[in-house]
Amino acid sequence: MIILLYLVILVLLMSAICAIFTKDLLVSVVALGVNSLIVSALFFLMHAPDVAITEAAIGAGLSTAIYVFAIRHTKRQEEK
Amino acid sequence: MKKTEFITGSFIALTLVVLLGVFFFQALFQPLYEGKVMPVDNVNLKNRLSLHYVLKNVHNASKYLASHGKSYFNNRELVPSRKITFGESKNFEEGSANEVTSIVVNYRGFDTLGEVTVLFISIIGLTMLIGGVVGKKLRQPSLIVRTGSRFLFPFILLFGIYIFIHGHLTPGGGFPGGAVIASGFLLLLLGLESYKFNTTASKIVESLAGLTFVSIGLVGLFAKNSFLANFIPTGTIGFLYSAGMVALIYIVIGIKVGAELSTGVAELKEGDEND
Repeated sequence: MIILLYLVILVLLMSAICAIFTKDLLVSVVALGVNSLIVSALFFLMHAPDVAITEAAIGAGLSTAIYVFAIRHTKRQEEK
Repeated sequence: MKKTEFITGSFIALTLVVLLGVFFFQALFQPLYEGKVMPVDNVNLKNRLSLHYVLKNVHNASKYLASHGKSYFNNRELVPSRKITFGESKNFEEGSANEVTSIVVNYRGFDTLGEVTVLFISIIGLTMLIGGVVGKKLRQPSLIVRTGSRFLFPFILLFGIYIFIHGHLTPGGGFPGGAVIASGFLLLLLGLESYKFNTTASKIVESLAGLTFVSIGLVGLFAKNSFLANFIPTGTIGFLYSAGMVALIYIVIGIKVGAELSTGVAELKEGDEND
């Protein structure tokens, strides 16, 4: 159980680092969504299913979509 | 014509704000419970459900007592609560099986009203700021996405409704249920380019839900002398018809949050419709 927790936290850290250091905004947003999904899995593993449901719906679903809608108004790197 | 309307509207808003401010400061400087009995004196702590849950589930009262050299079963009176049997125990103070709900909606229901108001105001601000922005057109979704989103939408809606109707029995509640419903509408908005979200209807539904929340609170004020007090009998723990007004308020919150979040997402997406 503890090993599983540490593995999940490792993936969480990796996705967060990817979200910060990638050059493509869309990749960054997807990494952020993955981050939220893993955080919700962590909440579930730590016996907080209430928070996990909310995090999965809002963090991974709605906020990712809102970021993508915002990025639509920018130019992608290849098009510059 | 427009200017007079604007001035009238501003005047009404100013009057409301001033009235609210007067009430607020009056409440601040009023001595509480002057000449009255504090309501805390009338509370029977043994009927408080959440206390037992907190001691049992989170802090693990038995281990806690054992580490202090006492057995949990011989020293039950140290845990100030009565025994809970699912489907049998009756007439607790709030009586919802999910103790998070009993705290969020019952003990600090006024906070929840404030949270819902914050969400409402933020969605209004978002609509005003970003509502009319025109962006690039989205790529047409493929056949699989179109069919899949049309097929999945009713199930997502049903799951959201299940989450907020069973908020007092299982994990979840109004806010997660509303978010799930909003993500279902988001799927429909992304998957079907012919789908047009009816923002007016959702705003009406949202306002009516908010009004229902406040009127439930007012009924509590008139029936039990306290805003948002539980005026319905709490019933048997673990049943669908239990926990009094907690279930009612969570249904209202679920509808309100779902309508609000889907309005926000639809307004953000609809920028490209008139492209």
